Amino acid sequence: MNLFTPLSWSDSGFILTGILNTVYISVVAIIVGSLLGLLVGFVRAESNKSINMLLGAFLDVLRSVPLIIQLILFTTFIGAMGYPLNPFAAGSIILSLYTMAFMSEVFRSGFDSVPTSTIKAARSLGLNYLQTVRYIRIPIGMRAVFPSWLGVALSVIKDSALVSVIGYMELLRTAEQLISRTQQPIMILIGVGLFYFMISYPLSRYGKYVERKMEI
Amino acid sequence: MKLIKKISLVVASIAAIGAFSNASADKLDDVIKRGTLNCGVVLDFPPMGYTDKDNKPAGFDVDYCNDLAAVLGVKSEVINLTWGDRIPSLISAKTDVVVGSTSDTLARAKSVGFTYPYFVFKFQVLSKKGVRMASFDDLKDVKVGAALGTTYETEYFKYADSKGWGRDNYTSFKSENDAFLGLYQGKIDALISTNTNIATKLTSGQFDGFVAGPYVPNYDDVVGLIAKRDELAWIKYLNLFLVHQIRDGRLNELHMKHFGTAVSPDMVQSLRDNK
Amino acid sequence: MNNYEFHWNVVFDAFPQLLSGAFTTVHVSVLSMLVGIVIAVLLALGKLSNNKVFYHFANIWIEIARNTPALFLIYMAYFGLGAYGIHLSPYLAVFSALVFINAGYLAETFRGGFQSIPTTQYSAAKSLGMNNIKVYRYVILPQMFRRIYHPMTNQFVWSILMSSLGILVGMNELSGETQRLQSTSFRTLEFFMVAAAMYFVITKLVLFTSSLIAKKVFKGELS
Repeated sequence: MNLFTPLSWSDSGFILTGILNTVYISVVAIIVGSLLGLLVGFVRAESNKSINMLLGAFLDVLRSVPLIIQLILFTTFIGAMGYPLNPFAAGSIILSLYTMAFMSEVFRSGFDSVPTSTIKAARSLGLNYLQTVRYIRIPIGMRAVFPSWLGVALSVIKDSALVSVIGYMELLRTAEQLISRTQQPIMILIGVGLFYFMISYPLSRYGKYVERKMEI
Repeated sequence: MKLIKKISLVVASIAAIGAFSNASADKLDDVIKRGTLNCGVVLDFPPMGYTDKDNKPAGFDVDYCNDLAAVLGVKSEVINLTWGDRIPSLISAKTDVVVGSTSDTLARAKSVGFTYPYFVFKFQVLSKKGVRMASFDDLKDVKVGAALGTTYETEYFKYADSKGWGRDNYTSFKSENDAFLGLYQGKIDALISTNTNIATKLTSGQFDGFVAGPYVPNYDDVVGLIAKRDELAWIKYLNLFLVHQIRDGRLNELHMKHFGTAVSPDMVQSLRDNK
Repeated sequence: MNNYEFHWNVVFDAFPQLLSGAFTTVHVSVLSMLVGIVIAVLLALGKLSNNKVFYHFANIWIEIARNTPALFLIYMAYFGLGAYGIHLSPYLAVFSALVFINAGYLAETFRGGFQSIPTTQYSAAKSLGMNNIKVYRYVILPQMFRRIYHPMTNQFVWSILMSSLGILVGMNELSGETQRLQSTSFRTLEFFMVAAAMYFVITKLVLFTSSLIAKKVFKGELS
């Protein structure tokens, strides 16, 4: 039996799967989380106090409990109820909801940033309610919050590493398994760090660039 | 008021999910119908479970999973768990059974169903060469560690507390592998694990600078398979499977394969005694 | 409920351990925040300085902290440094990773806050006869503090939540303690539900206190 074997080229496929799994779950969470966040943000910007409080309470829980605990609780709970989910499905659901909680705030402030005078002007030009939302509030409001949106999206990519705790073989868990086998943490860890950095850094630079441009 | 609203919201949503749930069929039927056995193994516990150089699961426990799947006539799907994942994986029905060297404590048996024992371990100390480790009491003066939530951690705490050692020299690790990596790197001078794991690590050549030391006094670690507590028919089937593994000589074969020696009569006797 | 019976008495018996875990959680987040703030001020000054070495040092720190996962940095502090014979305890590993990240994020917050105050205010205050110290004490810093207060509170909450990653290096904070307790009793749902509630209460208390302080200090003029 060969317990400890060094890293070799045959591991590259294994690492690539880990990378793809990280990308996969992040993209799902960002897309689903953004769509839900847009909806919730809009509802919160529009609705009265009591609905807002109810929604706010739910979002509050998502934002006040560590993601790692949410993941463990959700998989255990849903399984105990008799609806077992695989790690990808369970991870996507929680990560999407978590993303939604932050995105809804971003979008809400976007909707709030559109001046009422602009909306009134649009209505007086003959646009109906839905048209104002579609042509005025979403385009103008969303442009204003693009940098914040990107910020949340980037943190989702980084937080996706936590889905490893419920058994999803994403990049960090892949790396961990390789470390156990090779007993060489440094090289593998630095590789993992570089990967996240290479995705996150250019995008965050782009976000800052857009932000600066909007200020001018 | 706000808090009460929040609490009632949570309670309401829990009740809503609860209302949807329906009675599930018998686990044994489920597995056979599904055509796959979801079998949980702790893959950082060689030679019971580990990953080979192709990153595929291997080990004694993995072979037990495959044997079980074979007699059921289904595909074997090995699911990698950490010590802490074992119960959540059962409750969340991610696994049908965990072949994961689970010590059959009475506290745990309140939560989960145990089969007959399938293996007996000794808890042992592995320490750096040059560290004085003549008896278990020498652990008092060195940095010692073990994997979090394991029975040997509990046993060590019990022993340390009875001697009034305190816990300042103790470090826990998330997993077995992390504990060995910690020892290897020098974070700790000694760790506590099972005799089998330590023997395997020592034969690997990677741990030449370390020696196996004393056993945890007066303790036999008797381990069983675990399944959901209420799946009685399923547990009965698993029991019969374990009896057959001994009777048909498969236990001995696998012991030869993974430990290089025949299974000791003592262990077989202990497995029978503990039934 | 689909045949899951809750056993709460196990959790009640273990409540002292959970509380001590929660205390460690608060402990590590408060300390990492305080040290993080001090370093963040230095980093922000570095980014504003003309000295190339300071600037690049601050820049690299900030970008690494902001663009890599917290979990990665904790592993790095624990097993990464361990490979070089530097052995941090689980507590110190989590603490230093949190400090590293807090400093990186707060540095940008501070820099933004500083730059948001127009230089004309500085000249105006000077022309009123204030010396440098007075200008900062009465004009610049109060405004700056108001702008960075909210992001700082958020960063603190983030620290509390992220300290839960201590579970992955065997630290005895709330999550790690929960993990140990559920491993010995196998009552996963109960223990993690209580842990979640405790985190919720802790963060709510922090936010509540923060808004109380804000009301007192800023008299409701928080931007």
